[in-house]
Amino acid sequence: MRVTLRFFARFGELLGDSREIDAGDGTSVADLVREAVGTNSEGHQAIFDEAGSFHRYVILLQNRKRIRPEDAETMLVADGDEIAVFPPVAGG
Amino acid sequence: MLSPRELERYARQVMLFGEEGQERLKASTIFIAGAGGLGSPVSIYLAVAGVGTLILADNDIVDRTNLNRQILHFERDIGKRKTASAGEKLQALNPDIEVKVIDATIDAGSIDRLIGNADGIVDAVDNFPTRYLLNEKAVAGNIPFFHGAIRGLCGQVTTIVPGKTACLRCIFPDPPPGEVSPVVGTTPGLIAMVQATEVLKYVVGSGELLTNRLFLWDGMRACVDEIALEKDPSCNVCGEIGNREMMK
Repeated sequence: MRVTLRFFARFGELLGDSREIDAGDGTSVADLVREAVGTNSEGHQAIFDEAGSFHRYVILLQNRKRIRPEDAETMLVADGDEIAVFPPVAGG
Repeated sequence: MLSPRELERYARQVMLFGEEGQERLKASTIFIAGAGGLGSPVSIYLAVAGVGTLILADNDIVDRTNLNRQILHFERDIGKRKTASAGEKLQALNPDIEVKVIDATIDAGSIDRLIGNADGIVDAVDNFPTRYLLNEKAVAGNIPFFHGAIRGLCGQVTTIVPGKTACLRCIFPDPPPGEVSPVVGTTPGLIAMVQATEVLKYVVGSGELLTNRLFLWDGMRACVDEIALEKDPSCNVCGEIGNREMMK
């Protein structure tokens, strides 16, 4: 199945803005992002903590609907899905 | 009542908002938290639009590294309190409004005194702990809260109307890490303009607010995006539990 993965802002700078992925059945949102980040250590550090879980502040959207980082481990992607990963910014 | 000078000054926007809208702006008090990258353009545009009372709080001193983006402060202001520098410029921009500057740290002990009876709170700070504090005050006091934040060429904005929209904690339950972030002045300029426009629309009562929507700007790609937001019923600030805590 084809899934679009989009990284916003800083994540996009580190990992590229958007990509189409051929995902296998049973792929979770977290699996998809993990696989796309691959061995990019800076990207991995920005999105995941030391235990390999999403940083709590990372914003994840499945088809423009917010999903919680902890739910991303079990929520599966479907054909045509768009997954977006976004870092809130803090400066002023 | 608008004076002849005010009617002349605001002639082009009275075409948009009417004299009644302009009167509402004149009668309003807006609290701006921070006189830096976002606070400079927000306060400049709210001042020239005729917001009757601007309260600007900051605890910092003008530094040369501020000058690429904090457009209220000039080379000659280096070493001055940001509030003094800001107050002088804003009053010169519009002598028909009241500008109150407060040289203070926004913390749990000072926030009630600083915000007073303001009709709106503008988030122009550079850290999430202070944003969360402003958010709690906004929710408790039922005061609209205009959130903005930036990094590099990216930024985000949303308008929080307590009781009606997601609050800042619903949207960002956990803060992103603090850092000395890279930034070019055009980014806070653009984000501040969205915030200031929201303030004006809210006060005048026109248009559609940026409520339950997170506006995202990616200047590197010149892309605008939007995320739909919703209240988190279990939010510890504005959710049912949060409300119960506040009643105590």
